[in-house]
Order: sequence, then structure tokens, then C-alpha cells
Amino acid sequence: MATISIDSEQFSRMLAGEKPLLVDFWAPWCVHCRRLQAAFDKVAEENADTVLAVKINIDEEMELTNAEGIEIIPTLVLYKNGKRAASVVNPGSKAAIDAFLRDELGR
Amino acid sequence: MKIYDMLIVGGGPGGYTAALYAARAGLSVLVFEKLSAGGQMALSDRIENFPGFPEGIEGYTLAEQMQAQAERFGAQTVLAEVLALELRGNPKTAQTSEGTFYGRTVVYAAGAEPRQLGLPMEQALVGRGVSYCAACDGAFYRGKTVAVVGGGDSAAAEAMHLLPVAKKVILIHRRDTLRATKVYHAALMQAENLEFHWNSAVTELMYDGRLMGLRLKNTVTGEESSVPCDGVFISVGRKPATDLVSGQLALDQAGYIIAGENTRTEIPGVYAVGDVRGKPLRQVVTAVADGAVAVHSAQDFLAGLENTDSLPE
Repeated sequence: MATISIDSEQFSRMLAGEKPLLVDFWAPWCVHCRRLQAAFDKVAEENADTVLAVKINIDEEMELTNAEGIEIIPTLVLYKNGKRAASVVNPGSKAAIDAFLRDELGR
Repeated sequence: MKIYDMLIVGGGPGGYTAALYAARAGLSVLVFEKLSAGGQMALSDRIENFPGFPEGIEGYTLAEQMQAQAERFGAQTVLAEVLALELRGNPKTAQTSEGTFYGRTVVYAAGAEPRQLGLPMEQALVGRGVSYCAACDGAFYRGKTVAVVGGGDSAAAEAMHLLPVAKKVILIHRRDTLRATKVYHAALMQAENLEFHWNSAVTELMYDGRLMGLRLKNTVTGEESSVPCDGVFISVGRKPATDLVSGQLALDQAGYIIAGENTRTEIPGVYAVGDVRGKPLRQVVTAVADGAVAVHSAQDFLAGLENTDSLPE
């Protein structure tokens, strides 16, 4: 199942939610981002109970992207309790995303 | 315990072609891919030398289609990093980030990855000025100064990609001429915003939060200098991904797996496919050829016909 794309308004709303939010900052022209897609979707599905995983297209949400200090894509950012907790740039495998989440969510 | 007829390590063109042929031959087959189909090919903007696509095709798209084609016939993909392989056993074992899997045969098609310069902070600065792919990251350097390290076709292609984007491109090469194919020479020589640093080796990445420049050493005179730049694209060759099999399979001097055109390694039922195999030309077309041949060899093995040394190449 493909993860959903959100805009800045949805972002603010989700940030206020209870679940940790995992955002994939990406763009359609970025090959590394497209390569990450299937693995990101799979991680999102496997962790659906504990994490809300979404995508933000940096071309469509430039203001938000700048505000969040994203300089390179793909960057995955994990937000906990409404705050940025950790990020990882261009993870090289599904296992790397799993490890990132495991470290950050303490599981 | 499920035992597959074939476990394939790596979802590049070689791996998915083996998967396609195996699945069509009625074998049960799993492909382990750590991220997404295609391997190095997936990062290529346009593949112009794979027959059947007169206008060229984007590497990522070609990879997706190879995967879809193999899966249409029943091949399965597991998004897993292979952590260890036990190739001599029966069945053969793959320990992965998604669990342990067993197979009667193994096709090892793990590919190659960009060679690094091996300098301190090189990995830490990836995404902060250090890149191995202009097609991927070039757009971040619009109007900026970037360096390309290397002198082969890949380095020339990286420079060509960056020239229209960057303010200035600095090409740094250890020799005094390019190794790249002639088609690149004229275009590079004519470019107004390209500066060559011949006989130069990078000795240090200068940084302050992100890359600020490079320290160079002249390979002839020994003279040292500094070159400020916002990014560096490293294109100094490729390294076969053979860590999982070294100690089990013989490697040649350059680190590639020793296996003939029939892709058989010294262990019966284990095949080396694509860029990991020692061979004269590493291309998508030669990888897919390896994949098909490996399945042919594996079928002999599964039928009890492969007799380690007796069959000719």
C-alpha cells in the first residue's frame, strides 16, 4: 500500500497527533527517493500500529521544506510529541530504515 | 522449513533475469533486494545501450519492469539485507534482516558500488557536499562550484551532467589525460565553465559542517594546493560487493568472483552473475546474459547433472 502525500496543513495536524510521525521528504525527479519508495511503504505498513508514515513532496511544499531545514533528499524525519526527534539521509536499505526506527522508538 | 529451488542475492538486471528464467522454468525462486530493483542501473538517467529502446530508457523504469516481469511468472521479492551466506551446505542458507531462508541453489548477483576515495569524513559528508551521483544530487548545486574526481567515462558523464547546472566544474584527475571515451573529450574541452586539474590527487576533504573544499597534491611535483568548492562528485571506479562470499568463493586480484561464462563458481549450485563476476565487460546486457545462463547451469545441477568439473564451459 502506498503511503499518502500530505501538505503543510495536514502536516501541522498530524504533528499534533499522538502517534510519532515519520516523514519522507522527496521529489519525483529524485531517483534515490524513488528507490526508497517500496521499502518506505513496507516499513509504513509493518509499523502502522505505532507510527504514522507519510510523504512530503518538496517541490509542492517548499516553504515547509525550508522551515524544516531539509537540504538534501531523500531525508526521513521522525517527529515525536510534535518535535523533530531524529532524521536519516538516504538510508541504503529497508533494514536501515528499520534500524533507524528501532533506535528512535526504543524497540 | 521451506526450501526454495533458488535464492538470488541482489535485484539488479542479472538477479531479476535469473528470477525470470527460473520462474518460467517452474523453479521456486526468491530475490533478496535491500532497497529497490535495479542496483546501479536504477541510478542511471538514461540507458542508451540496452537493445529494444531506441530512445533509451530510464534505469529505474527498466529495473521496475524487469522485476514486474519476473514476478508475473511467480518470482518473489523480499526487501532484505543479506547478513550471511552458508553456501556449502545442503540446503544453502541465507541469513537476512527479514529472517533465515533456505535454497537448493544460490545465484549471487550482489553487484558493485562506487569506490570511495577512502578519506576521513568521506562518509559523514555524504549529503553535505560529497556525492557519488551527479544525476541524483546535481540539482542541489545550481550556480555553485563543484569538483568531479576521476578521469573515466563515469567521471566525464558526471562532469557533463554538472556543466549546465553549476557555475564552475573542476575536474580532478590523477593522470594528465582522460581515460574517458573520445565522445566526451571535445565537449569537455569546449566547455567554458570547466577547469582541469591534471596530475592531482585529493588528499583531504575540508569541511565546516559541510564540505568547503579539497586539498590536492600534485602527483608529479608533490606540490600541495587547496580548491574551494561546494560539492565533490567522486567517480573513481567501482567495487564488487563480495564481502558475503569472500572466504567461500575464490576472488581474482581485482576482487571479482572467479567463474566462467557458465557462471559456475567452485561450489556446486552457486552461481556468480553480473558485476560481481570476473569478466571483460560489465554492462546491463552482460548481466542479464549471466542471469539466464546461471539458471541453465542451475537446472543441470538440480537435475543431478552438474558434476563439478566434468562439464565443459
